[in-house]
Amino acid sequence: MIVIIGVGALGSHLVQFIRNERVDIKVIDFDRVEQKNVMSQFHGKPSVGKTKVTALQQTMDFLFKRQTSVVSHKLVVENIDVLLKGATLVVDCLDNGASRKLVQDYVRKHNLPCLHGALAPGGEFGRSIWDQDFVIDSEVGAGAATCEDGEFLPFIALTAAYLARSVQLFLKDGKKIGFSISPVGVVAI
Amino acid sequence: MNEIKDTEARVNITHAGKNGDLPDPVMFQSTDADIKAWVTEAVRTGGVPGIDAAPNADFSDFVVDRFTATEARPHNLLVVRPKTPFGFSSCEHCKECFYKALGLGCCVCPRKK
Repeated sequence: MIVIIGVGALGSHLVQFIRNERVDIKVIDFDRVEQKNVMSQFHGKPSVGKTKVTALQQTMDFLFKRQTSVVSHKLVVENIDVLLKGATLVVDCLDNGASRKLVQDYVRKHNLPCLHGALAPGGEFGRSIWDQDFVIDSEVGAGAATCEDGEFLPFIALTAAYLARSVQLFLKDGKKIGFSISPVGVVAI
Repeated sequence: MNEIKDTEARVNITHAGKNGDLPDPVMFQSTDADIKAWVTEAVRTGGVPGIDAAPNADFSDFVVDRFTATEARPHNLLVVRPKTPFGFSSCEHCKECFYKALGLGCCVCPRKK
């Protein structure tokens, strides 16, 4: 079972890009769809106000008849054991360092494969990176949030597509291939 | 790109939405400061194919990722990249932030955590 934590800009697109993989998908996110999210995330206008996981579950079922299991709670130290139970791959598409650290500590302690997705502001850089190479950057650079308007939707989707490719390669033969993604080129890690 | 020895690394750079490699490999164990200095010089003078010359390029806030050679990529790799803030503690009041509304970004906000 793949557990995707965070279904905002990267995570929501990732789910639809891996929909053909023959593996159970669980998504975790406590947030709700806001009007602005529709600009850059795989959530439609009818989903505004719903929890992101419920919205995504309904969209995947309606469009593709793809079943997903959902958890609409925030991942915290008290519930991480329960929420990640049964995971064979964890994909971190979170938007805050504290939660990423929680996930990283857990997967390292339990020797779970974990892929991290990350974006730079300004739509100039994205990462699909396996945990053994992942270092949480220490400070925030200047700039607006990447997902707040639709300008960077193509780049967000591009980064999510490479995340999906990393997942595909892992599911196929266990290879952990990551990618550094810029708008004009991609480097395999 | 010249042949890359085991003790060397290819340097890939992302700057202003463009991407390219330093023409020559560097020692894999070089310090972040040295790598950023070389990259800064190269980008400022237009010495990186694929990246436009940028006389004011500043890489001081960039990150140097280090990847050892793998079967699929038989040479060490250094990636000089912008930070990826989707992965940081953000301001609790970001949605209402006065500074952000002014277009200055939450980063200048004195209440930022």
